[in-house]
Amino acid sequence: MVLVTGGASGLGLGMATAMAAHGAAVVLACRRPEIGEPAAAVLREAGHDVRCVRCDVTSADDIGASVEATVAAHGRLDCMVHNAIAPTGGPTRIQDVSQDHWDAMVATTIRATFDGARAAHPHLRDSGGSMILMTSAAGMEGSTQLPVYAMVKAAQRTLAKGLAAEWGADSIRVNCIAPVADTAAMQRAYMENPDLRERLLERTPLGRIGNPLDDVGPVAVFLASDMARFITGQTLCVDGGGFLGL
Amino acid sequence: MADGTRTLLVGDGPLADGLHDGLLDRGHLVAQVVPVRTDDGTDVGTGIGTGIGLIGRPELVVHVPTVPARAVALIDQSTQQWVEACEAPMAEAFAVVRACRAYLSDRARLVWVVPTVAMGGAAGFVGFAAAAEGIRALAKSTARQWGPDGLTTAVLAVAPELVLPAESGAGALVPTLAGPALGRSGDAFGDIAPLLDLLADPSARFMTGTTLVADGGVWMAP
Repeated sequence: MVLVTGGASGLGLGMATAMAAHGAAVVLACRRPEIGEPAAAVLREAGHDVRCVRCDVTSADDIGASVEATVAAHGRLDCMVHNAIAPTGGPTRIQDVSQDHWDAMVATTIRATFDGARAAHPHLRDSGGSMILMTSAAGMEGSTQLPVYAMVKAAQRTLAKGLAAEWGADSIRVNCIAPVADTAAMQRAYMENPDLRERLLERTPLGRIGNPLDDVGPVAVFLASDMARFITGQTLCVDGGGFLGL
Repeated sequence: MADGTRTLLVGDGPLADGLHDGLLDRGHLVAQVVPVRTDDGTDVGTGIGTGIGLIGRPELVVHVPTVPARAVALIDQSTQQWVEACEAPMAEAFAVVRACRAYLSDRARLVWVVPTVAMGGAAGFVGFAAAAEGIRALAKSTARQWGPDGLTTAVLAVAPELVLPAESGAGALVPTLAGPALGRSGDAFGDIAPLLDLLADPSARFMTGTTLVADGGVWMAP
């Protein structure tokens, strides 16, 4: 039983679909059910057990309700993937960052992880489950263009390590994925930053941008599975070798 | 080495005070700014303006982020405790960068002093360790953005014992099979302040965005 925030599209839907294809019952937690419900319906038509719940991750109540809805549906929670994040916007000078942008980045990443962790912990403890957070190479190497995004993604990575240390005794694993994949959000980033795609490709040994379902999804499946039962506090870069600094 | 260096030091507590004394001892002209916590967050801008008024345009800015009072497991924290432990130190660091930008002298350097748990995480200090890693990313992004203007950044990662509350058992926060290679965790006055002095020196100007680990030889990765 898996809960994926930001599960209606992009990376979240890719990971959710991959997990469903491997037999998981999946709940797509999304801010806009008008997008999440059709996505869930498509997966159900394909024979998967997928439902959608409305969840604005800036609301602790929404996150708690999503966790409880997931457990109510199947009696357990095996994995929570916190993938949702506010739009990153275009390149921003540090001195020009707005308070609204700062607040949105913090609320949807580290605060939502805090709220999600507290809500999910008792259920993950019961199942011996895991939590997956999304980070980015930007958090490891800094970003000229998205300094706040880099900060919160870096924080997410160490947050996973700290949670791994605190939750190990409960047999709960916490790991990160640092992906690069073509999504609608990435398309917007390309529009705001026209040379981004070329720069990414230039530094990627495998010579292409990843796919949310076929490239990132299997890694989420692996981390959530028993095959990764001795892996915790780690970051897996799923980016075709674009970031080799770890 | 950097006699008369105009240094703005933002932070309070034993580590910041030790750095203040150590930098004075090495000939720096130091203005120490204590962040003011308000209901709306942390105000550093007013203090930074006052400090710069005292010493002139800083050549070295050092920020020692505010540390939570005690270790608390994440699931036992209130939202307010979380904000104080994680979000506030990050916001404080960001505010320091922004408040200083207009006043930095040519070739100025910004340095953050954080515990090595930034890189490894820490039970009991999950939020603060995460904030410290966020601050390391800020140092890198700032280096990338402002490097063309001649400005540089760095992070000094020090032993947790120098940063976190003594009663927290900070020495056990970095899992290791052995103690510090040098047999001690260091002190702000004699071990860390000289490194700030080094970073302020023009001879170090080609180093930016990086983290120097000064914990007596515990954290040796990568």
